[in-house]
Amino acid sequence: MAIGDMMMMGSGLMGSVLAQAAPPAAMSDVHLAHYLFVACVMFVIGLIGFLTRRNLIIMFLCTDLMFQAAGVALIAFSRYHLNHTGETFTIVLITVAAAEAAMALALVVLLFRKKESLDAEEWTELKG
Amino acid sequence: MNLFLNPFVLYSLVALGAVGVSLALPRRGVNPQVLGGIIAGTAAGLVILMLGVRAVGDGAGLVNPFFYVFGIAAIASGLRMVTHPKPVYAALYFTLTILATAGLFLILASEFMAFALVIVYAGAILITYLFVIMLASQSGKESAEEGLAAYDTESREPVISTVACFVLLAALLTLTFRGVKEMGPGANIAQSAAVIDRLPGKAERALIDAGVIASGDKVEVFSGKSQVANVRKADGTVVEVSAASAGSKWPKSLEVENVEGLGFTLLKDHPGIIEIAGVVLLMAMLGAVVLSRKQVQFDEDQKVAQSRRLREETARL
Repeated sequence: MAIGDMMMMGSGLMGSVLAQAAPPAAMSDVHLAHYLFVACVMFVIGLIGFLTRRNLIIMFLCTDLMFQAAGVALIAFSRYHLNHTGETFTIVLITVAAAEAAMALALVVLLFRKKESLDAEEWTELKG
Repeated sequence: MNLFLNPFVLYSLVALGAVGVSLALPRRGVNPQVLGGIIAGTAAGLVILMLGVRAVGDGAGLVNPFFYVFGIAAIASGLRMVTHPKPVYAALYFTLTILATAGLFLILASEFMAFALVIVYAGAILITYLFVIMLASQSGKESAEEGLAAYDTESREPVISTVACFVLLAALLTLTFRGVKEMGPGANIAQSAAVIDRLPGKAERALIDAGVIASGDKVEVFSGKSQVANVRKADGTVVEVSAASAGSKWPKSLEVENVEGLGFTLLKDHPGIIEIAGVVLLMAMLGAVVLSRKQVQFDEDQKVAQSRRLREETARL
């Protein structure tokens, strides 16, 4: 039973490669919790990185890690409900992440030109 | 409160993970990063192990074994990315996180998003990050140790922020591990049938490939639910073909695949999203150009000369 279930749960990987597996079976709550656990841990690691690191570029990399975590949660829910709405939102998420990366890096280049340093604490005067 | 895991054990493991992560963050002097990484990894691994035990105990069976590979790779490389003092290595570990996440997407039967993620993130965004890192890390102000800047080797308030974030993690996991029983799984078969009813061309191709109908025939109406197709033959007569009449020749691959379903949902249910995404990308591009442009300063003489030249040219026209 375990092997059969694993094949069913793996119908994404196995199925798309072999292209003729059964349609994906319903996903149980415990299995959803596995993916949400990974998503939560990734999100929190990204948040810790954003709060603690002082390099501007790494801070923005950490926000991208949080985007990834949100994507994992959305896709897991999409799989759980067996529809494509979560994936649709992940497209928006990737778009926003790309826009954010472009803006953030432009800002970083601008700030680096002014102070010749990537240290976020160089800009503490911005807090007024 | 009915959690998947014993709350006491769960919160102890979360606290253990907090200790590990706060040890693993970069700092001056004594720097037990490896020890911290091992402690945090043990805590995360124990939670995943206990979830697996619980899943088997519930009769749901183990998750796909690839989940363990990709999930652990995603968490571990995410942690290393946050704790690595060198920005280039952090970006490379982030690439590893993206690849592991793409693997998770594949397991979750979402292959389009997996490949889009690899192309957009690993292909485009990460390259931009690496360029900026290379551009900006030529700073002269480097400390003596390993040629790293001071702001890279020392993190800001590691203990307090770790504690705060792990309180958030404990709350998130409490809600997550309660289960989402009130939200039952949807009816995939009915939904997939509804989508394929609107794609008679796909059904036609599948039926021709399977040899049920001849290659000049047109499928006019297809019902995925009852597995019946109204086919207009080349000579104009309409016949009804069904799974019962075709028998074993009826194609098995009449399911809607991921890309078809996703495209259908995107364009039918959320058509505005594409417009909004386009506007967001355009504004980001404009913003990036405006921000990173170098301001060219003209002095007064140049401005006067420029306006005189413009006036002469308009007069000549």
